[in-house]
Formats: sequence, C-alpha cells, structure tokens
Amino acid sequence: MGTSLEGNSNSPIEDAAKGITKGFLEWSSKAIADYINKLKNKELAFIQDEKTIKLVREIYNAGEVKFYDTYINDKELLFLAKMGITLRRLEENDEKDKLMNLRDKIYRQYDVNGLHIAQFVQNGILNRYIGILIERMTTLDKFQEDLLDLLQNIDKYVLFVEGLSRTRDMIQKAVTIVNAHNPSIFIVSGIGPAAEIVRESEDRLKEFLREYDLEKMSSGKKEILFFKKVLSF
Amino acid sequence: MFSIMEFISLKNVSLKSKICLLEGLGFKTDGEFVLDKNGNKVLDKYLEIPIKIDNMVILPGSTIILDDNEFSLSKYIEEYGDFA
Repeated sequence: MGTSLEGNSNSPIEDAAKGITKGFLEWSSKAIADYINKLKNKELAFIQDEKTIKLVREIYNAGEVKFYDTYINDKELLFLAKMGITLRRLEENDEKDKLMNLRDKIYRQYDVNGLHIAQFVQNGILNRYIGILIERMTTLDKFQEDLLDLLQNIDKYVLFVEGLSRTRDMIQKAVTIVNAHNPSIFIVSGIGPAAEIVRESEDRLKEFLREYDLEKMSSGKKEILFFKKVLSF
Repeated sequence: MFSIMEFISLKNVSLKSKICLLEGLGFKTDGEFVLDKNGNKVLDKYLEIPIKIDNMVILPGSTIILDDNEFSLSKYIEEYGDFA
C-alpha cells in the first residue's frame, strides 16, 4: 500500500528521502511537474539502482580506461574494453547475476568475438599483454598497431579454452592456431573449469611451442599461459 | 555555471506516481512495460529490448528511457557524455 507524502514538505526530494523509510512514495502533481522540468533542463535523471550508475561512472573515469582511450583508436573495441572492466568489477563485487546478465548482453550485441575481447580485459590478460608489448616495443606506432591487431583478430592470438574441452583437442587447436598465424605472443586462457585443463596441458604445449618462452598468470580458478616468441637479436 | 546532476531512484516510487511521470513525458504503460503514445512497447535504444516499468531509467537528452543495466548506461555515456 502506498504512503502519501504529499504536502509533508516543500521539497519533493526531501519527501523522496523520507518515503524510503515509509514505503512506496506517492509524488504530488507539482513534484512530478518539477521533476520533469529538471529532467528537461538536464539537471536530473531517474535511476533504479544507484550502484549501477555509480559503477558505470567510476569506470568511465578510471585510469585504466584513460590509458585504453589513448592507445585503442577504435570506438567499438574501446567500448568492449570498458565492458571488460565492468565485468571485472562485478566479479570482484561478487555480483553473479549482474555479471551473467552483462555477459549475455555483450554476447547478444557483439557475438562471441566481442565477448572474448571483454573477457580478455576482465581477466587482466590485456594488461599483461600490453606489458609484454611494451617490453618489446620498438616504436609507439608499432605498439598501437600491434594492440589494435590483437583486438581485431583476437582468435589468432588467444585460445579461449572451454570447460568441456578435451585436453587433446585443445592442444591440437593451439598448435593449429600457432602454425596458421605465427603470433609473436600466443595466449592460452583457461577460466573456471577450463583452468585445470590448461594446467594439465602446459607441459605438452611447451613441447610443441619450443620457439616460445612461457610466462604464466595462475590462480585457483584462472590459468593463463603467455607464450612469447623467443627474440633473436 | 557548472552544476551536478541529481539522481532520483524510482525503486521506492509507487506505480501510480511512475505512471503519472510517464504520462507527463508523453508515454504510458500496460502495467508491466513502458509504451509510447500509440501503445507500442518502447525499446531500449541500445539493446532493442522492451523496457519494464520496474526497471526503467529516464535520462536527459530528449527524454531517453532505457533498461537499467551497465551496458545501456555505458552506451548512453558514450553518446551523451557523463551525467555531471
């Protein structure tokens, strides 16, 4: 049942604050007219969950986004990177429903490739990849070119292992990708149930990818292998 | 003069008040979804999904009604800039 606060104060916003403790708010016609006026003057926005808008705004102002903004000169890829950071924050906050919901929306709008890019960012792989690129950087232009190439052709550089994959098939797939594209950095990413599959495959992969040095990002539910082509000077 | 945008949560607002608000903006509802003046479901412009009245956000910029989720709000910021 609604609780009318009409006439309790001169400020509809004050009424709104009071109403939170009393039940559903009833707004007066005057309050609604004032709100609409403010909305049209861009002084007000109606939201649902304050946490959602706060999170989105924090991400848009985060240093990590500003860095990407400088070096990723593609609007859609940059947006997917922002979605990746959002996924990471939701994961850190243990907001499983929101996490799954956002994953689903990214998938529906950007297909599996877009979701892979967002997950690449979510899991901190892009940041380590950038670190490796910087270690090997010759010019800033080449760095930017390599970064864009990675994001535009992510499946040539990264194998996203699925939880139901068979170890043998996964190794075969990794070798096929490396033989086809000869990447200077090749990544095998196992998250959740796939982490164990990647762990089990590490030694075999090292045997097949002898021209590469291995670096790992490892935790309980994440196993990410960075194969870095040995540089010859 | 620089001003900071005010946010009002619709979470604790009665259905009646939300209906009045929508009507004041030229929209209506069937009790579940937001409808335009012709009775068609209003779609979130970024996701193209119908917007439930219990999950709507109403944002400035020719009155944009969206589904409350991180994807749509991020797209809104991309298009219209931050709220501040």
